[in-house]
Amino acid sequence: MSHPYQNTGDFDTIPMHQLIVPVNPAFQSASLERQSALPPDGTHYEFATYGYPETRAHLEPPGPELHRGGFRSLHRTQTTDNRYGDNRETKDDIAMENLLKRLPSRQLESAANNAAKTLHRRHSRNKSRHGAIYHSTLRDGDLEDMIGSSSLLDADEEERVEEAIRSTPATMATRRSMIQKLSSRKRKSPGFMKRMNYSIGMGWKHFKDNMAELKYTMQLWHSHLKKIEGHFGTNVLSYFVFLKWLLLINIPTLLLTLGFIVAPQIIYRWLQQDTLGYISSEKFSGMELLTGAGWFEPTELYYGYYTNKTIQVIGSKSYKMQVAYLFTCGGYYLLTIIILGQSILSSYRKYYIEAGGFQSMQIVFKVLCSWDHGLTSAEAVKLKHKSVYLEFKEYLAGANKDKMRKTMIDRCKLFWLRVFTNVVVLVLIGASGYLVFYLSGTQLNRNTLFSNQTTSAAGVSTNETKNPWLLLVLPLCIGLIHRIMPIMFDFIEGYEQYEIPKSELYMHLSRSMVLRVTTLSVLVIYWYTEVSQSPDVPCWETFMGQELYRLVIVDFIFTLFSTLISELIRRLLVGRVKRVTHPTFALARNTLELIYSQALCWLGTFFAPLLSLIVIIKLIIIFYIKMISVLQNCKPSERPWRATWSHTIFLGYLFLFYLLTTVAVACGIIFIKPSIGCGPYQGKDVMYSVVPELVDSWKEEYAWISTVIYFVSSPGFIAAILVALGMGVYMIRTIMMGRQEAVQRLKQQLVLEGKDKTFLLNLLNQVTERHTCTSVSTTVRPLTQQISPQDDIVSPGGRVFVRSLAESTLGGR
Amino acid sequence: MGNKISTFTPEQLEAYEDCTFFTSKEILHIFSRYQALAPDKVPYDMTGKEAQTVRIAHDVILTMPELKENPFKDQICKVFSEEGSGHMTFEEFLDMFSVFSEAASRDIKSVYAFKIYDWDGDGNLNRSDLEATLLKLTQDGLTQDEKNFVVDKVLEEADLDDDGMLSYVEFEHVISRAPDFLNTFHVRI
Repeated sequence: MSHPYQNTGDFDTIPMHQLIVPVNPAFQSASLERQSALPPDGTHYEFATYGYPETRAHLEPPGPELHRGGFRSLHRTQTTDNRYGDNRETKDDIAMENLLKRLPSRQLESAANNAAKTLHRRHSRNKSRHGAIYHSTLRDGDLEDMIGSSSLLDADEEERVEEAIRSTPATMATRRSMIQKLSSRKRKSPGFMKRMNYSIGMGWKHFKDNMAELKYTMQLWHSHLKKIEGHFGTNVLSYFVFLKWLLLINIPTLLLTLGFIVAPQIIYRWLQQDTLGYISSEKFSGMELLTGAGWFEPTELYYGYYTNKTIQVIGSKSYKMQVAYLFTCGGYYLLTIIILGQSILSSYRKYYIEAGGFQSMQIVFKVLCSWDHGLTSAEAVKLKHKSVYLEFKEYLAGANKDKMRKTMIDRCKLFWLRVFTNVVVLVLIGASGYLVFYLSGTQLNRNTLFSNQTTSAAGVSTNETKNPWLLLVLPLCIGLIHRIMPIMFDFIEGYEQYEIPKSELYMHLSRSMVLRVTTLSVLVIYWYTEVSQSPDVPCWETFMGQELYRLVIVDFIFTLFSTLISELIRRLLVGRVKRVTHPTFALARNTLELIYSQALCWLGTFFAPLLSLIVIIKLIIIFYIKMISVLQNCKPSERPWRATWSHTIFLGYLFLFYLLTTVAVACGIIFIKPSIGCGPYQGKDVMYSVVPELVDSWKEEYAWISTVIYFVSSPGFIAAILVALGMGVYMIRTIMMGRQEAVQRLKQQLVLEGKDKTFLLNLLNQVTERHTCTSVSTTVRPLTQQISPQDDIVSPGGRVFVRSLAESTLGGR
Repeated sequence: MGNKISTFTPEQLEAYEDCTFFTSKEILHIFSRYQALAPDKVPYDMTGKEAQTVRIAHDVILTMPELKENPFKDQICKVFSEEGSGHMTFEEFLDMFSVFSEAASRDIKSVYAFKIYDWDGDGNLNRSDLEATLLKLTQDGLTQDEKNFVVDKVLEEADLDDDGMLSYVEFEHVISRAPDFLNTFHVRI
């Protein structure tokens, strides 16, 4: 579709009267007689043709015509600029405007009520009793009808009606009266089942209300988040909300491990008066906090300390530590995947599926949705204005630019350049992986010098060259790799000539993520293969736990330092050193660091059960440090950033990391032989062998359970489930494709309806003008008198309306 | 509990809970903010009709930090107050923050967003409405040509029945596609 600006290419020199705009066709047809009054400057009036040849005879002056099937090119000279004289509206225009006002689609309240009623989904705080995420539509007609009717509503329907009332855009007084009517309806006493349903439903609703209240009182950091949002908007806020969310999902993990693993161990130790660990000769020096070795080693912090015995607690009740350890691990991984899966799916649904096709609507979103109402500080508001202004300018520049198509040679060159840079990146990542591998090898030697897992009675370290800093070499190197490599990636990306900054950002993030995944997997593979076989390390699980602890602590220290450097020092340097710009909050980099630390937590909790506690403390400290740093040092960025779909991408990365860590831990459980001297699985072949033993032990008492489990884990059953799932996915996908097509067809129908409406209105206007001997205004006035004011709000559909009007016009000749 | 004056009767609180997206604690918190705006005018005891009769003046409400810097603040107050005067009772105040809260549904937010953008109040967003919105957004940064171009593009994309203005259904159709809308149309109190 051509547009005048794209043709001329020079935006600023188009004379005012040549600006062509689509206008209300009512204006156009009613002012046809005045066309001769317009300046005859040779402006080309293009009229478009309808596909209704038989009606052409009725349209004496050149009527409204469609141009090449595109309705959009109804042209007329501009009206909004008042340079051509003010009051162009004659009585015809006013009359037509009055008519149009009565159209049902123009009545905001009725249109809004319709939209509220026929909604396809709601975001509601109160989910229905069965926990369904979707509410079905109110099928029984009007809201008022439902309230006024004498039929009974059970708790479920009543809740939906309440929800509908909450979403009604009426005043508070109206809503209160509706609620009163609803609650004061006499209910005849229902049967037993209904009453039970109702009481269960009400009980559940009260429970949810209480939970919501509790959640409100315990709201963590509400005032801090509000302050950040006021100063920086929703983009920076999303990082802090993500941090809070990570904190909250670590809490169930912590509670599970504390309750089922750590507490029984403490009870066992207390019962047995067993001081196997806690070597009193090792004094607690501050270094242990950094290295995690030394005094910390034979404590509940690490796997190696836990007993493999069955704890006899009260009388005959026994607590099998081996079983408990494995099942708790499985429990918190399962819980985490449920929470993660739910949040990623809801985020994807909210931001991708509902927002489908948003590419074309960018400008509309910019105008209607870009203002962030949460901003409260004057400075942030000013910057937001500027940011919005820049966005518009960028859009205007982009709309005018003639996209130069790259030549074939250019594209080839770019392609090979990108292949080359990707190869370079892969080489770099591979080199880092090898470096990590090499360091781990030497680390092993260093660690044996330091190991104090003495089985000898001496309990005194024999090696005087013990230096705790040696233990930190590997984590420090890994931390440095993770910080320096992305800078090199940035440098490389400068050569790759990405056109869209968004794709550059995602490329950068993916590369950083691949780097971290590589280093972690090299470490894990090394630990599983070399360390577990090594005779120098008596307890490889504790070793692994210690390494992960050190990684977490070093990562924390690096985060602190990078915050310091990139924000505080940059702010101090802004005035003094030139070319240093004001720091802005690097959202993507920080979020990726959070994701990495969470992955470390998931990887390490099996081998160091209290690691989740340490990560929680770390997150709390990071929150305060980042918040203070952001508020003191950073300025809001002027570039726009769509926080919503980047949120989905980050959740996707988190989920990917989660899957990888689960696979890693599962491999360790299933394939690697546990160490002989320590931990709950001493002497077993693999840790997983506990589960078959458990199932076998049930054969005597609960034979049916073991038969069920054998059946479920048989290959045939699993194959059948896989086939069923595959078919289900295929079926749902087919339904989805069908619905997409239906949406397209409905959109086309909508456009056609609009054309119908305009055609009919013009026809009506023509008919009105034709069939009246006196002036239009006197004919139209009786029309407006005939339609009573009550019909305004609830008027019938468009066609009926127009027909009735036409009849009354013709009748009133 | 003794001599403690309760602000609302339990029935009132329950009615408010049912009509808005807030819990009772949040409602009481909002009441304390409302009262802090005009402590001499707003009584502690709202068990009678005070929630519907006592009005705080327009300019006092606009001194709230949540609204003070918002370019749409006048329009927001106008939309939520009766007869468009801008002076708000407590119920209207509560209604306003309920619509802007996080739990509010997308539909009710889109209805009120439409009303806020509809500067002349005629029930649809015509060119002048869109131009006024642009003006508020960019603080008069764009030239008239640029504004016209942008408004043209908006109408081209969103106006499905080509009447030159956006009715509510067209607006809602656009807003339901916008991923940011729920996040940006949100005021924390």
